Amino acid sequence: MAWSSYPLNPIHNQSVFIRATNCLWLLTLLLAFPPQRPTFEEVSPAASKITWTHNNAQSPDRQLPETVGAGCAFLDYDNDGWMDIYLVNSGPSDFFTPSTPLKNGLYRNNHDGTFTDVTDKAGVAGGKFGMGVAAADYDGDGNIDLYVTNYGSNILYRNNGNGTFTDVTDKAGVTAPGWSTCATWFDYDNDAKLDLFVSSFVYYDKSQNPLCTDPTLKQRYYCVPRLFKPQPLRLFHNNGDGTFQDVSRESGIAGSPGKSFGAVATDVNNDGLMDLFVANDTMPNFLFLNKGGGKFEEIGLAAGVAYGEAGRPRSGMGVDAADFDGDGWQDLFVANIDQEFFSLYHNDKELIFTDQPGEIAPATQLLSGWGLKFFDYDNDGDPDLFLVNGHPDDMIESRVARVKHKEPLLLFENTGRGFKDVSASSGPVFTKMFSGRGMALGDFDNDGDADVLTSNNGEPPLLLRNQGGNRNNWIGLQLIATKSNPAAVGATITWQAGTLKRRRLKTGGGSYLSSHDPREILGVGSATKIDSVEIRWPSGKIDKLTNPPLNTYVKVLEGSGLVKK
Amino acid sequence: MKKNSSNSHKKAHKAQALLLLCFLCLFVAPARAQSTDVVQAFEQVAALIRDDRLVEADKELTKVLRLQPDLPVALNLMGSLRAKQGRLVEAESLFLRAVQGDKKFTGARMNLIYLYLLKRAPDKAIAQLNEVLTLEPENLGARVLLGDAYLAKNDLQKAEENYLAALDNKLNNAGALFGLAQISRLKGEQREVAIYLNRVGTLIGDSTSTDLLYKFALEAMQVGLFDEAKSALERAVQLKPKDPSYLLALGIAWLRKTDLFEAEKLFRRVLVMEPNNAQAQLHLGYVLLNQKKYAEARTWLEKSARTSAPIPEVFYYLGLVAQEQNNDAGAIVLFEKAVRQLPSYAHARIALGSSYMKLKNYVRARQELETAVKLDPNEPTAHYNLALLYARIKEPERAKEELRIIDQLKAKGATNNGVVVLPPKSNP
Repeated sequence: MAWSSYPLNPIHNQSVFIRATNCLWLLTLLLAFPPQRPTFEEVSPAASKITWTHNNAQSPDRQLPETVGAGCAFLDYDNDGWMDIYLVNSGPSDFFTPSTPLKNGLYRNNHDGTFTDVTDKAGVAGGKFGMGVAAADYDGDGNIDLYVTNYGSNILYRNNGNGTFTDVTDKAGVTAPGWSTCATWFDYDNDAKLDLFVSSFVYYDKSQNPLCTDPTLKQRYYCVPRLFKPQPLRLFHNNGDGTFQDVSRESGIAGSPGKSFGAVATDVNNDGLMDLFVANDTMPNFLFLNKGGGKFEEIGLAAGVAYGEAGRPRSGMGVDAADFDGDGWQDLFVANIDQEFFSLYHNDKELIFTDQPGEIAPATQLLSGWGLKFFDYDNDGDPDLFLVNGHPDDMIESRVARVKHKEPLLLFENTGRGFKDVSASSGPVFTKMFSGRGMALGDFDNDGDADVLTSNNGEPPLLLRNQGGNRNNWIGLQLIATKSNPAAVGATITWQAGTLKRRRLKTGGGSYLSSHDPREILGVGSATKIDSVEIRWPSGKIDKLTNPPLNTYVKVLEGSGLVKK
Repeated sequence: MKKNSSNSHKKAHKAQALLLLCFLCLFVAPARAQSTDVVQAFEQVAALIRDDRLVEADKELTKVLRLQPDLPVALNLMGSLRAKQGRLVEAESLFLRAVQGDKKFTGARMNLIYLYLLKRAPDKAIAQLNEVLTLEPENLGARVLLGDAYLAKNDLQKAEENYLAALDNKLNNAGALFGLAQISRLKGEQREVAIYLNRVGTLIGDSTSTDLLYKFALEAMQVGLFDEAKSALERAVQLKPKDPSYLLALGIAWLRKTDLFEAEKLFRRVLVMEPNNAQAQLHLGYVLLNQKKYAEARTWLEKSARTSAPIPEVFYYLGLVAQEQNNDAGAIVLFEKAVRQLPSYAHARIALGSSYMKLKNYVRARQELETAVKLDPNEPTAHYNLALLYARIKEPERAKEELRIIDQLKAKGATNNGVVVLPPKSNP
């Protein structure tokens, strides 16, 4: 039936006119008031009551550990459902004696946007030259514990469940002397216990600090790590009785000494075994493929993630993994130093990756990246990317044109066809310069959008509130494992809302020296109903949630599904 | 293609003429005493030529030559004017007539000499220079040019004799020192090159000869004196801010200093002045490619390919853009074109091998990469791609061997840090 065979109904005709007019108005309105994008708002120390500042111990000798710290974490140490904050500081070492005692900081969330310093009460002040932190419930008692990496030796703080912690490092056997950087909790052998990977940086002590100087500067600057020897990395197997066994050698991890910073546990070949991607500074990156049976094989070269162009190793610092293009395969990201460009490695399957940074490359050409994380800041369902930057050499501006010591934060929106730099429209904080290092992700105000905490070298931390990420709809999952590892690292979450269908692997670690809110916020865009959520646990169990509630956090118990309030 | 070729010839003539003008203006003054009025009239015409008011100058000179068709001064000026218009054949004929009319008119002879040197006719230049030096034995400029002419003939000994004679034990003649630097370079005496060029650099600090500044900059770049080259070109740009040639050369100097940002600014300035400058388009495309701004790089590279006959580098760069945009099949077509034009193009073969590898055609990848390594055994990129290939086809020992070679090359300082190889040396 052709439309033209019927005369237009005058009333119908009028409604067409009205509709057209309305459309015009709508268009005008849209042009006048474009949809608001979420922004990140700086929460001042006065507002948050976080008065802690990082002391980088900078000395005229420019000892290398001074410039690489430190990390930060979002964790719920008191199980009240609100994210608390942990901050790592420098401390006594063979090259540094603080004039006043320095300590790490634990800040309890007061549920009103403010925090209270509970460091001393909790007993987690550190007292060593701190680097990073990894928070997880390693003993499965329901309380989040803390592993703090240091230049010197590391500390495992066991959460007593009463607001205090006990240093159980020696008993647990995870001291890891030397210079440790990033630590990652994950279950490499799927025995439902969290094992621990620890990145090691270079062999270093104060007597091994070469004189790196420039005749024009007439003072020392931080030496490049190329001058130092690599250290074996460490893997500790969780025995399930509060102790760990160092399996670095038998697993194959120690066979590849590195100058390692960021690490992320992910599954690059979808075989259900968590692999490890580790960034190295001035050395090829490592991709440890989990072969099963407690063995890893380093395949970075063949995978194409080890080197930059021309076979030149880059200065890898922060890393993360996510399936950014939704093809079902985990892609990788590494932040490098200025002029090296950051790498976005697309997983081409068959353990081959192609570096496709797109718009991220020109935007980061002059930057040096550390903390970073893929996350869905606007809850539209796809992973975006947040980058924290800062040059490690505080004298770089005297030596290299256009490169700055303090650098801006960057936010990239996943457009479905790549990443677009949206920093300029994401809040005034993106115009500021920082000596950025760590970055942790967490919804500290429980409003359903992920907020950001960054730790800055020699500066106060930066707490950023996500304003408006929750304009899109979402559901937050707290996964409670019964047969899988307590952090549910390796779980796959699939969710559907109308035509939107997404899948996410719960990775372990990522970023730089930092640890994140373990909850997963699933964005569904403007959909007003979530059709289904499916959790495939590392144990193989599957929980399906049908028509779960929207815009709230829910608990999912492995094998039982949604926990009724 | 023909049209492009003809266009590029026209451009080359125009560039030559512009350069020639630098010298011609020095020699417009009449050789013999004229009446004050006549001298003034010719000086005015010379000024008109200098100021690019060629139509007015042409009118004035045509009037004079109608009355006195063989007047040497007028013929010389008309020759200068024609040279500036790029009509070099007419210019030569006019200078010759001026010289025939007045055998002692060294100004016209010098113009003729410059013309011959530009036309790469050193024997003709030498004949004229000998005449000038007979008339003016102390003419140091002519002595230096005689050195230049012999250098153009590759007669290094005679060239050196003339440069040394021009110096007369005084290290104050930039042209002669510059000639000696060129001779030292041809002899492979790098230290001497640097010594001579450093001295030239000091002498030409205040030079008003854009030609000398330009030539010095090119020579300095050849031996890695990028800062000196840059300073000379900055001076040339100051002297002739509207001449895109110097801006382009300055951009190339920044490029050789690996400062892509400064280079980018300068190439963009050239393209504002001359939107169809193929060299600037190519270089801007190259800079953007290295900054990983692929979409814009492609635009400029494609423009450059349309503006002039594409050189293998253009296909190579466009291939790299396609490769980065995940279009390996398209990249292969472009790399193949580059390799067809220049079979010894190792970088294009590396890229070709890399694209075949991405498409999992390991046999072709291996062929291309192994050929590339034979062509350029000191290129780390070739060894890296070969290492990657061997690792993928499960030949780990060969992969390790390639990585070991890369380490050795790095120890020798042979690394390009992943920067795409520069466009060929151009003569803007």
